[in-house]
Amino acid sequence: MKVITGVVGNDIHVVANRLIDLSLRARGYEVFNLGVNTHLEEFFDAAVETGAEVLMISSLNGEAEGWGREVKLLKSRYRTLDDLLMMIGGNLVVGSGRTEDIVARYKNYGFDIVCHQVDLNTGLDMLAELLQERGLQ
Amino acid sequence: MSQENQKLLIDVGSTYFKISTLDSIEQHFRDFNKDILDDLMNKCGDTVSRFQKDDIYICSSANGGLSALIIGVTNSFSLKYATNIAFNSGINIIDTILYQNIEDYSVPSDIIDVVIIVGGVNSHGGLFSGALYSYLSQLNYSNIVFVGSEQDAPAISKEIEKVVVLPNIIDDRLHIVEQHLKEYLTNLYQQDIEGKEDIKHLYSITANQIFSTPYIVNRALPYISQKFPVADPFILLDIGGATTDIHYSKDLVEDNLTTENEYDRLVFKRLGVYKSRQSLILAAQGNEFVYELLTHLKVTEKIFIDQNEKATRILMQLAIFLVLCKTSHYGQAYVNLKLLSVNSIVFTGGITKVLAIEDIETIIAFFYRKILSSGHRPVAILDSNYDIWTLGAKV
Repeated sequence: MKVITGVVGNDIHVVANRLIDLSLRARGYEVFNLGVNTHLEEFFDAAVETGAEVLMISSLNGEAEGWGREVKLLKSRYRTLDDLLMMIGGNLVVGSGRTEDIVARYKNYGFDIVCHQVDLNTGLDMLAELLQERGLQ
Repeated sequence: MSQENQKLLIDVGSTYFKISTLDSIEQHFRDFNKDILDDLMNKCGDTVSRFQKDDIYICSSANGGLSALIIGVTNSFSLKYATNIAFNSGINIIDTILYQNIEDYSVPSDIIDVVIIVGGVNSHGGLFSGALYSYLSQLNYSNIVFVGSEQDAPAISKEIEKVVVLPNIIDDRLHIVEQHLKEYLTNLYQQDIEGKEDIKHLYSITANQIFSTPYIVNRALPYISQKFPVADPFILLDIGGATTDIHYSKDLVEDNLTTENEYDRLVFKRLGVYKSRQSLILAAQGNEFVYELLTHLKVTEKIFIDQNEKATRILMQLAIFLVLCKTSHYGQAYVNLKLLSVNSIVFTGGITKVLAIEDIETIIAFFYRKILSSGHRPVAILDSNYDIWTLGAKV
C-alpha cells in the first residue's frame, strides 16, 4: 500500500512529518514523503507518479484551512485520482473550535479521514479501519 | 612543423569562424557557398598548415542546438525534472505536454530533434496508453527517448519504433536522477554537430574531438576572473547568429535541481540575430515594452524592415532586452534568475562586434528600471576578443 505524506503549505514542522513517516513504515506502508512546505498540487502529482492509494496531509500551524478549500477543485482536474483515499491530520484550525464542526468542514473539503488534534497511532488505526472497510487491506 | 606549447583554436559559428593562436586571433565571415573546411583553408590556410592535427582544437555552434518536446505525467515531477535536465544539456524545449491532456495539445509542425517521454516511479506502471501512441504518430521527430517507469518500458518499446529506453529519471523517493538522460542528450547534441557533413570534413585537420561551443564557454566560466574583472554572481550572454545562450551561476536560481556543474545554460533558439532575424522581430513585437524601448533608442518600428548596420545594432539591443525579460519574473520562461543580485553581465559572441558598451548599458538600465523597477545596474563587460572561448578551449 503506497502512501504520500507531507506537510502542507508554508509549514516547517519537520519532526511531526518524520514521526508520521516512521510510523507508516513501521505499519508496512510504502511511504513517499514530500517533506515540509509542500503545495497541494505536489501531493496530487506525487499520487499520479507513484500510483499511491492514500494521500496523508499533515498541518500543524493551522494553514490547512486555507489549502483545504482548494482540494476538491484541484483534485477534479486529475483524471486518475477518483479512488485516492484522502486523509488530513494535525492542528487543523487557527484558534479553537468544536471538533465535530472541524471534522465536518474538512470532510466537506473532500477528505475521507480527518484527525484534528488526534494522536498519531489513533489516526493510523482509523486509516487501517477505512482501508479494511473498502477492502483495500 | 608545430610550434611548441601552441594550440590552434577554431570556432565555427553560424556566421563567423574564429581562429586563435598564442599570438593572434582572426575572425572571418563564413562563405555559405563553400564547405566550411574549404572556406577555412582558403582564408586561414597558412595558419592552419603551421599546426599538426594534435594541436588543433575545434568547436562549433553552427547548428544552433537541438529541439525537444517533453511528454510527462505531472508538472511537479516528471515534466519538471525532464525540463531541467534538457535545459541543462543545452536543448531548446519546444513544448511540454501534460500527458493526461495530450489530446488537447496541437501537434508541432516542425521536425522535433528529440521527444522525451517520462512518468512514474519504477514501482508504478500503466501510465501511458493509446493516446500517447496516437499523438506520436502525428509527430515528426528524429529521436525519441523514454525515461519513465521501468514497468512501462516494455510496452513503450513495443509500441514506439526506435525508442531509446534509459533508466528512470525519478527515483523511488521521487527525487531526480539526471545522469543518464543528461548524458544521452549531451551526446545527441555532440553527434548532431559531428554529424553535419561540413563538420565531419574538419576532422581532416584535427585529431581532437570537436565540441559544441556552449560546452567550451561553460567550461571557461570558473576561470573567467583570469581575463575579466567579473564580480560574482554574474551571467554571461552569448548572442550569436542563430541562437542566444545564457550561462548563469546556480546561486542565481532557487529551483535548480541539477548538481553536477556550477554553471547552467539556457538556449533561446529564436533569439539569434542573423539567421533567425524574423523570429527575433516576431518575439520583439510580442513584447509590450519593446515599442517603449524603441522610443528610448530613438527609432521607430520601421527599423524592423530596414537592412542596414543600424538595424542590426538595434536588433542586437532588442535581443539583450528580450533575453533579460525571459529570465525575469516577467518572461515566464523556465527559470527566473535573481537578477537583482547580479553584479556583472558578460557579453560574448557576434554581438560584441556590433555593439559598444554604451549601447548595452542603456538596455540594461532600461530593463532594470522598466521590468524590475530598480535602479540596480550590473556592470556590463564585453568579451570583444573572444577571450572566454579561448580560455574554455585551453582548459
